[in-house]
Parts: sequence; C-alpha cells; structure tokens
Amino acid sequence: MSFTPNHTPFELDPARLSELALDFASNPIYLDNEEWQNTDNPYRRQLRPQIIKYLNFSTPLPKEDLLDYSALAANRLLATVYETDMMFLPKGPMTAEHWADFKSFYSSTNRARGEMIRPYLERHVFGFLDDIEVSGEWTKESLVAYLGRLRDQPSVPMASEKAIRESSDPKRAARNWLIQFAPDFLSEASPMIRNAMGYYGPVQSEWFKIIIDEYGYGVHESKHSTLFERTMTSAGLSPDLHRYWQYYLTSSLMMSNYFHYLGRNHEHFFRYLGALYYTETTLVDFCERGADLLTEVFGGEVDVEYFTEHVHIDTHHGRMALEKLILPIVEQCGEAVIPEIVRGFEEYRAIAQLADDDFATQVAWMDAGPQNKKLHDPVWKKVESGEVTAPVAYIVEPRGELSNTHQHDGDELCHIASGTMKFVSGYDSHQILEAGEGTVIWRNRLHGAIIESEECVYEIHSVGDYRACLS
Amino acid sequence: MLVLTFAAEGAGNCVEVGSVPYVYARTARGAFVLPARCSHRGGPLHLADLDKAGVRLVCPWHGAGISATRLIKKGIPAVRWGNTVTAVFPVPADTETSTGHLPLSRDLCGMRAAN
Repeated sequence: MSFTPNHTPFELDPARLSELALDFASNPIYLDNEEWQNTDNPYRRQLRPQIIKYLNFSTPLPKEDLLDYSALAANRLLATVYETDMMFLPKGPMTAEHWADFKSFYSSTNRARGEMIRPYLERHVFGFLDDIEVSGEWTKESLVAYLGRLRDQPSVPMASEKAIRESSDPKRAARNWLIQFAPDFLSEASPMIRNAMGYYGPVQSEWFKIIIDEYGYGVHESKHSTLFERTMTSAGLSPDLHRYWQYYLTSSLMMSNYFHYLGRNHEHFFRYLGALYYTETTLVDFCERGADLLTEVFGGEVDVEYFTEHVHIDTHHGRMALEKLILPIVEQCGEAVIPEIVRGFEEYRAIAQLADDDFATQVAWMDAGPQNKKLHDPVWKKVESGEVTAPVAYIVEPRGELSNTHQHDGDELCHIASGTMKFVSGYDSHQILEAGEGTVIWRNRLHGAIIESEECVYEIHSVGDYRACLS
Repeated sequence: MLVLTFAAEGAGNCVEVGSVPYVYARTARGAFVLPARCSHRGGPLHLADLDKAGVRLVCPWHGAGISATRLIKKGIPAVRWGNTVTAVFPVPADTETSTGHLPLSRDLCGMRAAN
C-alpha cells in the first residue's frame, strides 16, 4: 500500500475557534431579544454574538474565574449545542415563526457548527475539574465506604435555602431559585438517555429503570417534568421551555450542562455513575427541605409534589445507583474504573457547591439593589473629581432598547447622564435610574437594562473594585 | 474502613490513624497519601527527597528507598480537590484518629519538575 494516511487530532487555533463560535451564535434565532422572556418558543435563546469576538474560549477557565462573562457565554452556547439533540415543540400551534425557528435550530448547519466548537467550550468550562486528583488502590470495599459517608451526613440547609429565607423578598428569591432549575428539570433525565443507547450488559437495563421512573412510567401526569411544571405554575411562573433564559445564572447552566457533557462524551461514562450517585443521594434531603421551604414562602397554594416525589423515589435511586449500577459495573469492568467513579462524584460535588454559592450571592445582589443605587453617589464623586480613573464607555440608547442579561468581570459604575433606565438584577428585581442617578454593579452578577425614556445617555465606568473607590 | 478528610497542605495536613501519621504528598509524577514514618526504623518520610530519577523516596535517616509509583498506584485510596483530601484507610471505622501538622520536603510539595 503506497498510501500512508495521516491521522491527526481535531484542533482549532484560537482565532478559528472564535470565528466558529461567532458563526454559531449569529444564527438569527440566537440574537438579542426585545423582551425579557421567550414566549413559548423553545428554539430562541440569546447568545449575544456581538460580544463573542472579545472572548477567548481556547483555554480552561481557572476556578476563580468560573463566573466571569466568558463562562456565562460558553455555558449558554453549550446548552444550545447539547439541546439540538433533544426534541422540543412549542406548547401552542406552530406559527410561521415557529416553523422557521424549528428548521433553523435542527438544521445541519446549526448542528455541525455547534459540534465543531463543543469540545473547546467543554474544556473552557469544565477543564478546571482536572485539578481533582484520585490516587491509591481503590477497591470495591473502599469505594462503598467512601460513597457511604455522603449517605450518612446530616441534612443541612444549603446557602441558597438560607439566602431565600433571609431575603428581603423571599417570594422573589424563591421564584428565581425555581427558574434556575428549569433548564434541567423541564427536560429531566434527558442527559441520562444518552447512556441508555448501546450495548453494555445488565447495567444498561438498570440504567433504563431509573429513566422510566423519571419519565413517570409513560404516564404524562406523573412525568417529573410535568410535576415541576405544576410547581412553577403554582408559584406564579410559566413553564415554557427557556422562557426565563435570560435569568439563568452561569452555574445553573453549568449544573445542567455537566450531565450533558458526561453523557455526550461516553469516555466519561464512569464519571457519570459517580455524579449520578452524588445527585440521587443528596436530592433526598434537598427535596425534603425544598418542599418545606417553598411551602413556608408561598403558603399552602404551592404545588410541591415534584419535591415530595423525589424524597421518595431518590431514596431508591441512590440505592439503585450503588447496588444496581456502580457495584455491578465495577464487577464487570474491574476496579480500574473506580478512580473515574470517584472523580465524577467529586466533580459534581464541586459544581453543586459553586452553584449554591452563586445563587446565594445573586439573592444578596438582588436584595442590595436600593443600597447599590445609593452607592452610586460616593463612587461617582470620586470618578467625577478624577480621584478614580477607570476605562469608560459612553452609551446612547433609544426607548425600548434592551441590554440582554450579562455580567462583568469586575465591579462597574453605571451613571445616567440623561433619560431613564430600568436596571434589572434578576427576575422581578429592578431599580429605576433617572438622570444624575446610577448604580454600582457587582462583579459576576447577572443583570440587564431597558431604556424607558425617548433616549438615555449613560456611562459605564469599569472601576474594578467599587469598595476601593470609597476608601 | 475509615474515611477521613484532611488538608493537602498547611494546618491540619497530618492525620494520625491508630498510631501511624499520614500526610498528602505531591510529586511531579503524581500525588499520594504517605505514611509519614519509615517502616525501617521510623524515620521522618515526610521530609524525604526523591532520588535522582524522581521515582523513589529516600528516607533521611538510613536511606531506605520507597517507590513513589507504588504509593500512587497501590497506596491508600484518596481523592484531592483543592486543599481537601478524602482518604479511605483499611482500619475499623472506630479507630482513634487525630489531626495535626507536619512539614513536607520540597520534593513532596510538588516543587520538583518531572524528569
């Protein structure tokens, strides 16, 4: 044979990666929205293509930068890429716009472009997990002891739950909390189905049993996503898929993307088992506390069956994950797979911790809206007097211009020169800013704005750390 | 089996299980849970350097060699995330334990590059 094939790994240089990410995000269905919410259109998501050329997705983000804008952008892109594998339909009739968006979302162009950037986005967002190091000789017995410790831990409220209870507006905080689960719970267990296909022995059937539970045994009223829809509706929210896309936090998308990442890359199958054990085991206590929390905040009218159902079924799923999936797979494949199972367990624990802290901080950010508005004056004085100099953007926008939600990598000062801005810091959370007023914007905190006067002239000063301006 | 969590470095980086102290060591070839006392005469293994090839720990007392590869692959099962180590010790769960601090040699702090 005279032909010598040249097999090389798929690689993109940073410039090409950025170009392809922009190509993907430039699809008309991903452009900025003129409204805060997407109304019954599962294909529309805002990816803010205009910012992509300023981002570098080519390297893993360090742990301390996981909530920077680059992470939010990458997680929004990834969620969109993963979901082109899933079937979505609007609840209402297919309008001409729905048809066009449906075809565009599932088009080969959209899928091929997404697939080319996916490995780099995954590395960008999940590369920090390579810091987890598993060593030593793991046996079935040591694995059982290690996993068992989680099961035996006492039920302790998470930072998010505490933040909701202590919020100045617990109902708003709880609604924002439910919104964070929507990307996962409305298409619950879809990532799991990625591992239901194939041929790998008895564990495949056990895996399928968990999926059957999640899907309500084919009875739509019992499907877990249907239960969650009822929770959302009873809390005054709409359960359209990605209606609240603009209010998803980086880490909420990351939690949902993580299981897609594991399921889409079958080389991480054993990690999925560890992560599954973590989530199924912790969900029992979490859902018990969640049901109590929602009832406490909204009163008896809130439907918490989604949560109470999980208290029951996840007691079984945690056990099944160990006895029917993990231990049999170790028996089948050998103890060499255990480090990957342990790694998956630790990976998901790390991401869940990040998400908990992120949400609690977002509640604090929403609650601090009035104080941040007051802080404008002393910080602006320092800027105006020249005592603080920072990069500044001068912006003029017309009525109705909506800055789709985003976040900054450092603190900023927003100063309104003329006109009126509605500054939005979360679902149902805003401050009205008039000429001469403004607000401090915290680093990494999700926000957006809409102009409520004929024109608004405003300035954004990238002060870095607003507290340093006050000293 | 006894599952313990301790620090990878700094305060609380040594856990004593029964009467054996353990630390978490990081070398260029990988990390592992290290019995801090040499099995030969009880020398301070946490202060051991690696040999020139970077594969064996050399006890500072009598020069006994301990395979780092063996500790990585066959040692106490452990996982580290950030500065937290969780390890599973092959002793009864009610074994007496205590936590303290032991300094580590430069080679065991991950400061030597791989050959």
